[in-house]
Amino acid sequence: MTATPFFSVRNLHLSFADRAHKPLFGPAPRIEVLKGLDLDIGEGRITGIVGESGSGKSTLGRVLVRLLDPDSGNVMFKGQDIAGLDEEALRPLRRDLQMIFQDPMSSLNPRHKVWRIIAQPMKRYGLGGTREQATEALVRVGLPAEFGDRFPHQLSGGQRQRVGIARAIAVGPSFILADEIVSGLDVSSQAHVLMLLSKLAKEMGLTVAFISHDLSVIRHLCDDVIVLDHGVIVDNGPVEQVFDDPQSDVTRKLLAAIPLPEMDDTWFER
Amino acid sequence: MTRTVLDIMNLTVNLPNRTRILRDVSLSLEPGEVRALVGESGAGKSMIGKAVLGILPPKVRISEGEILLDNEHLGAMTPVTRRNTVARMSALIPQDPLTALNPLRKIGPQIVDPLRRIHGWSADKARARALELLDRVHIRAPERVMASYPHELSGGMRQRILIAAAFAPSPRLIVADEPTTALDVTVQKEILKLIRELQRETGTAVLFVTHDMGVVAKISQKVTVLFAGKVMEDAPTEQVFSGAAHPYTRALINATPSSADPSRSFTPVPAQLVADLHREIAQDDHLYMTVTS
Amino acid sequence: MAEASTAPRARHGSGLNLRLWLPLSWVTLLVVVAVFARWIAPHDPLAQDLLLERLPPFFMSGSEPGYWLGTDSLGRDVLSRMIYGAQIALFVSVIAASATCVFGSVLGMLAGYYGGWAERIISRLVDIWMAFPPVLFAVLLVAVMGTGLTSVIAAIALIDWTRFARVVRAETLVQTRMDYVDSARIGGARRASTLWTEILPNVLPTIIALLMLEMGIAIIVEAILSFVNLSISTDDPTWGSMIAEGRNAIHFAWWVLLFPLIALFFSVLSFSVLGEGLRQRFDPVLQ
Repeated sequence: MTATPFFSVRNLHLSFADRAHKPLFGPAPRIEVLKGLDLDIGEGRITGIVGESGSGKSTLGRVLVRLLDPDSGNVMFKGQDIAGLDEEALRPLRRDLQMIFQDPMSSLNPRHKVWRIIAQPMKRYGLGGTREQATEALVRVGLPAEFGDRFPHQLSGGQRQRVGIARAIAVGPSFILADEIVSGLDVSSQAHVLMLLSKLAKEMGLTVAFISHDLSVIRHLCDDVIVLDHGVIVDNGPVEQVFDDPQSDVTRKLLAAIPLPEMDDTWFER
Repeated sequence: MTRTVLDIMNLTVNLPNRTRILRDVSLSLEPGEVRALVGESGAGKSMIGKAVLGILPPKVRISEGEILLDNEHLGAMTPVTRRNTVARMSALIPQDPLTALNPLRKIGPQIVDPLRRIHGWSADKARARALELLDRVHIRAPERVMASYPHELSGGMRQRILIAAAFAPSPRLIVADEPTTALDVTVQKEILKLIRELQRETGTAVLFVTHDMGVVAKISQKVTVLFAGKVMEDAPTEQVFSGAAHPYTRALINATPSSADPSRSFTPVPAQLVADLHREIAQDDHLYMTVTS
Repeated sequence: MAEASTAPRARHGSGLNLRLWLPLSWVTLLVVVAVFARWIAPHDPLAQDLLLERLPPFFMSGSEPGYWLGTDSLGRDVLSRMIYGAQIALFVSVIAASATCVFGSVLGMLAGYYGGWAERIISRLVDIWMAFPPVLFAVLLVAVMGTGLTSVIAAIALIDWTRFARVVRAETLVQTRMDYVDSARIGGARRASTLWTEILPNVLPTIIALLMLEMGIAIIVEAILSFVNLSISTDDPTWGSMIAEGRNAIHFAWWVLLFPLIALFFSVLSFSVLGEGLRQRFDPVLQ
């Protein structure tokens, strides 16, 4: 690890307006989603972010790639605070901060062919964006070159998610946020996609934040893990450490709830 | 001969163009038994439950085979008798607790009405039974929950209500159609525990549809593994996880992350195996089309 | 799942095509008639001939050859007037509906996408606007601006832009929350350009359906204004003014009223059915 961590987040707060409880006059009350988070993400490591629904894990992820603005706190990316940057100041950094989405069907434009989906961001970032470059990225994620001429709906779920990965790596980022990228996939393609991601991360020296609700997947894929509960970090450290010696009841409960594919009569009692 | 709750014999389900969604599926369920139906999306696992409950999508037809509910041939009945028999003897725990309850009606009538309508219970008896079951699924203030609307309750809470509603009339068979897919792992565990407890108490047989081999290991005593509408394996759960199993079943188990040995036990389903299975089924289909045309 | 993907495809049978082709044929007929009115119309729509007043249509006794749908109380040929009326109806509906559509949709998209102040101002404006009774508002506007085609078109656009603004805002709001918007930003798209390159194509099916509906509405509004004598000059043949005139003679020359009414009815119906059909065509999710 380098002296300045890749990502260094300090005292991060974020809240949303609660429109359901908005009074007739005056502003809507705020719901605190992230309640003062401190965390580091090491360069070249895969960090799992795990928690139940409503824990704030996706919100944290979207702050890291600055799709969301935090209320307060610092988000240091390679030594630069990106928390307060406006859209124009962010633009040169965006290429470096890529994201793979949970639902490839809604994140890939249904009207574009696969090669254009991959090439478009490259073009926008001034990296060319030719058909050849797109094909190269496709082959890199293990899809045949002729898939460039297909539309997203002509692909299977696993193939679509590979296109999502190809689009992210094609612009040569240093960081990728993977937001529940296998939760919609069948088990057979799940393992394929995860293996691909970990292989690419190693080859390209990527730093990855991997958001998931599935601790067993995180254990297989990640180097570090952050456990969130209601907007608070309850466990944080290398995976072996957190899994073997969890510091909080939330982590212990999450671990005990994983249904492992093996016979275990005492599982329900744990 | 043991008395079975459900007997499916050589069930084939078709689209109008004779594409088969289920291919010659047979399975049986004894009282008090939980059988997992496992497979990937498109394997037809939900279709089996739908065929039993008579809620197949439009244009999907049973072309061959028999379904026996409590040793009675459903195919031999008139549509009205069949609907009544199925409603009386079986219940469904649906996949999505958010859409399974009518958002405009209070919880109470949604549990009580079917008990009165289908089972002919008095209002008092139905209400008492609903309260009893809500209490049984660990809902703290059953009276208050009965008077609430679905949107006032969490997803886990709604799934517990649906479980209570399913068990309330003491059905012989419950079809649980991926009842925990939409839930967090800790809530999933609570729900599985509840289904297991209630099922053991009442001796209700459960057909448990899932894609998760982990859930299979925890909840079921028997497993039917499906691929493209065809039964790959039908065996006791214990046997499946102790080793002797169909290569596809083994592949599904290996593709599910396990804790024992992180490096070894998490491998994708081999593409070659999937290709072989598809080829086998294509040959099968060719034969089927030739014979039936 | 295989079973899920087959269900919507089954709906794309001949039934839907027929529903699309019937209104399409009517609209095409309308366009052709309007464009070639000068050559198609058997008579001058303004030529009066008091000797030929109130001739019945061809299938009744007492009809005169060449006057297929009869004549009105001034002896003008009903068919020719309807043909020229189609010209005005189409012109008004295309121009007025397009103006309404562009104005309302842009405001709706801005409100839905940017939220905040843009949304509050536009939404309030829509609320206030919709508090006026539309027909009265139109009559008032034309009375102030003076009669004529321009005023009619302006009146329609000024009344009905709220319909677009409301619906397009809601749809834009839904689309803005979709992952593809975030993924465009991750992919380097500017915020403003995302609205036009990513969101607009996805809102377009809704806009097209509304546009078609609006064309039907524009025809009706023009007819209403003609009916109360606030459209263009009374001599000019519009369907609305024909209906108004026909009303006086309904007991002994019903055809003067009925034929333009039928044309009006089919046109409005065709546009709204066509809108729904086109929306389904353009929507990849429904295909």
